[in-house]
Amino acid sequence: MNEIALIFRALLRNKVGAILISLQIALTLTIMVNAVFMMQERHAQMQRPSGLDEANLFYLSNTIFATDYNQEVALRDDLELLRNTPGVVDAIQINAIPLSGGGWSMGLQTEPGENQSSAGVAVYMVDDHAIHTLGLELLSGENFAETDIQWRESGTTRWPAKTIVTQAMAKELYPDDWQSALGKTVYISQTQPIQIIGIVRALQAPWNGWNGVERSMLVPYQMETSNSRYMIRTEPGRRDELMPIIEKALAQSNKGRIIRGLRTMEETRERSYRGHNAVNKILTTVVFTLTLITGFGIVGLAMFSINRRTKQIGTRRALGASRSQIMGYFLIENLMITTLGVVIGSAGAIGLNIWLVNTFTLSPINPVLVVIGIACIYLVGLLAVLYPARKAANISPAIATRTA
Amino acid sequence: MLSMTNISKVFQTDEIQTHALRDFSLQVNEGDFVSVTGPSGSGKTTFLNIAGLLETFTSGSFLLDDINVSGLNDKQRSRFRNEKIGFIFQSFNLIPDLNLFDNVDVPLRYLGLKGKERKERIEHHLDMVGLASRMKHLPSQLSGGQQQRVAIARALATHPRFLLADEPTGNLDTHMAQSVMSLLEDINTKGTTIIMVTHDNELAKRASRKIQIKDGRVSELDKVIDHDIDVSPQAIA
Amino acid sequence: MFFYYLRMAKISMVKHWGLSLLMILAIGLGIGAAMTTITVNYMMSANPIPHKSNQLFNVQLDSWDVNEPYFDDGRPPAQLTYRDAMALMDARKAMRQTVQSQANAVIEPEGDDSIPFQVSARANSADFFTMFDVPFIYGGPWTRQADESKEQVVVINSEINQRVFGGENSVGQTLKIAGFYYKVVGVIDYWNPLPRFYDISTGAFNETEEIFVPFSMIAEEKINRSGNTNCWKPSGDGFEAFLNSECVWTQFWVELPDNQAWQEYNDFLTAYVQQQKAIGRFERPLNNRLLNVMQWLESMEVVEDDAVMMMAMSLMFLLVCLLNTVGLLLAKFLGKSGEIGIRQALGASRRDLFYQYLVESGCIGVAGGLLGLLFAYLGLQGIDSLYGEMTRGLTELDATLVLSAIALAILSSLAAGLYPTWQASKVQPSQQLKSQ
Repeated sequence: MNEIALIFRALLRNKVGAILISLQIALTLTIMVNAVFMMQERHAQMQRPSGLDEANLFYLSNTIFATDYNQEVALRDDLELLRNTPGVVDAIQINAIPLSGGGWSMGLQTEPGENQSSAGVAVYMVDDHAIHTLGLELLSGENFAETDIQWRESGTTRWPAKTIVTQAMAKELYPDDWQSALGKTVYISQTQPIQIIGIVRALQAPWNGWNGVERSMLVPYQMETSNSRYMIRTEPGRRDELMPIIEKALAQSNKGRIIRGLRTMEETRERSYRGHNAVNKILTTVVFTLTLITGFGIVGLAMFSINRRTKQIGTRRALGASRSQIMGYFLIENLMITTLGVVIGSAGAIGLNIWLVNTFTLSPINPVLVVIGIACIYLVGLLAVLYPARKAANISPAIATRTA
Repeated sequence: MLSMTNISKVFQTDEIQTHALRDFSLQVNEGDFVSVTGPSGSGKTTFLNIAGLLETFTSGSFLLDDINVSGLNDKQRSRFRNEKIGFIFQSFNLIPDLNLFDNVDVPLRYLGLKGKERKERIEHHLDMVGLASRMKHLPSQLSGGQQQRVAIARALATHPRFLLADEPTGNLDTHMAQSVMSLLEDINTKGTTIIMVTHDNELAKRASRKIQIKDGRVSELDKVIDHDIDVSPQAIA
Repeated sequence: MFFYYLRMAKISMVKHWGLSLLMILAIGLGIGAAMTTITVNYMMSANPIPHKSNQLFNVQLDSWDVNEPYFDDGRPPAQLTYRDAMALMDARKAMRQTVQSQANAVIEPEGDDSIPFQVSARANSADFFTMFDVPFIYGGPWTRQADESKEQVVVINSEINQRVFGGENSVGQTLKIAGFYYKVVGVIDYWNPLPRFYDISTGAFNETEEIFVPFSMIAEEKINRSGNTNCWKPSGDGFEAFLNSECVWTQFWVELPDNQAWQEYNDFLTAYVQQQKAIGRFERPLNNRLLNVMQWLESMEVVEDDAVMMMAMSLMFLLVCLLNTVGLLLAKFLGKSGEIGIRQALGASRRDLFYQYLVESGCIGVAGGLLGLLFAYLGLQGIDSLYGEMTRGLTELDATLVLSAIALAILSSLAAGLYPTWQASKVQPSQQLKSQ
């Protein structure tokens, strides 16, 4: 106990140095904890399932420029061509691609009328092959029948009579019992009734940053549009081989349009979360470098303090201090400095988090993370001081008797 | 030329007052070689530090070249040290990172001399102490006696009027000590005033004038006839 | 003396190379990280049209649902309805004005073997080019007359001109766009305002469009509009009904030369909204905005949260690096107490010593700054490779940034060196000179 008081008093004599390291440790802890927290949040977002068979899906844009063009016939021909291509599991026309950033959203409400609250939902216009093509899991209810599929003329505001929604959307409409949504008639575009005939487990909306990203609906529509997309599911492992084949086949089958923008769902996911991924990589680098710098800072300062105290340490050794006592001295000194840093840093970490929460609508930090951060900091401090402390312990007692 | 009257130096800590010098008075004239002896802790070094303007004093008056140094600020004191005073220390105090040339160069830089003159002076003074051939060596590559000779060369390079030596032979063996002592005597005969603190009575005897400090007060031990020495009445304990 | 101190600094840094390296590395990393994020933020918040950003104003009118605001914080919609935009356009109350929308089209070049290709397009008014200082290689903007008489004219960028016309002066040539023939009136030079302030509805850092056609082509259904469309009220069937709906999808900009013009235009907008209220539209409280370019970009928060957050993080990182440097410098200079004492004995004043060690701190700063520049360059390359084309044009160091990096490095290290230097110059010489 006496020893610890001694170390503490010695520290007080070199306040500035100790405070500098403490502050450094505090800031490191602050940044580390918040960075890891942000990484976790992003990671969790990226882990959400899209509901699709991503590995085997790709899509393309079909841009029609010819003016004499029967879209209804051309679409039927295209889908027939696609579905009959060996290696293709199924294919659909679709108005928007999950996670791609661009799409269509509407509001659904359980009561008709202008002033009713509605829940936002992403709209996918597809036919009865959608569940099979996208690889969705139908939890209850049934798929569209072929007869449900309607031809949607450009500019119409009418909606079909049936829809399939995601479980998340069903929960949003019927928070108490999502299963009760099945068979219910809800209202789209404020007043048009639409009946929920099926519920799928998951299908993400096109916007990954939207808090309703899990809320989507399928409507049985084939579209008249000069710019439509085809989503194609291949047999496992055959996607990359089929992409150029299909591009060529479609382009050759009809010269009045351009086939462009072929992209796999995997790439779409990558692009969608590229920002998240990038931030996570940057944060990882920051935390890693920061820890290194702080660690080396501790090493550097400890080495200096030992060099300056060489004679004093030698004298202690000459007076009977053992190697382990000398090492212990520096370890305890470091422990005190780290503890000060950790106390300031914990407050800092929470403070920074509060700022982040207020400025960027992040969620509050998990206290466990702070505890883990503290443990890491102690470990880093210990590792950093180990080498200087051993060096100090190896100072010869004979130093004490030398004059210069 | 150097005139201290009733100088007192008190070190003040929280509880204790220590009188390093009390009513210390001393007059040193141009060309003197004064040896200062005294027991450990008697105030020898404090006296030398005050004389060299490295430390301030608590009360009394100190005239150096008829200038009252207590009124000088840091810059003026530094200038004084640089131009008029040379120091030699027991532990040589060469700057370990600099070679001999650069060590001797240090005070000349502060003197503001041009490059050519600095070079000439450095070479001349290193030659004088017999180390011109080792200009590019670091102090750690020299023996103690050699290091002290470099320190002397450095002290003299600015052509100081006073040379203050604090146990200049303390870390040297007898042979080396003799040679450094001879060098100092040589310098003194060329006109530089020397004040040397030592605990070695044999060396002290070689000075033209010997004083002793005890408990922060001065007492004249020996008058050398050749010199006209004026000891102020207060100096007698 | 400066060069002497420089040499002394060099000797000292070489002697304690490990420590110096650690400090230089720390400052370098700190500066590198800070400069990387500052660059991205600086580019994101750059003024895309500095010489006249105070004369260009985006028009916002609150035509939204009476029951809920467009933005949670009460800001009006970022775009206008077609009918309001056309009304403002017809009124022509500003010195210049343009209505615009993003579009896309397929170009079919002449010749049997040429392949049709898709281009990004913008449908806008004649004033667009003059207002936004669009640089022309050949020809120029179409006339207001052309807008009114719905002429099929087009301005193309140099890449399209290269692709279709081989880079020749194509003014007067025809171009088949989405099945219709257009006369080329101008070819524009490279033009890439960052952020793309005139339309940020689909991303503030997108590239400028490849072709520009009169806005009337949308209503004529000769070109497909694209971009962001937001509706709060169902519209009737058909394109005519859509045009008359409460959906917002057009951007409207005016050029107003001075305060008085701004005031008059603002009054005009107020009067317009009052008049629309009288016929049952604009049920929300009066909430017009007439923001200049920078105000507009700021209100739309084009600087991404991630970028701001990263900058905050990296500035804290820099702070850690500086604390590190303060600590190490302090240790280093205190380790030099002996030398400091000797120098004082030899005639150095405190000011001399302060200057000497400040030079040494500065050297470490300059070295750290240069290393920081290298790190910033690598960091920006890294960001480029992580984000791909999403950071187009945001990761380029310009002279201002390079100079400020060096200034930041030197200032930081001088700040870091100040306390240790001051401590060093305070060393009591007499205590250092007695046997060590």
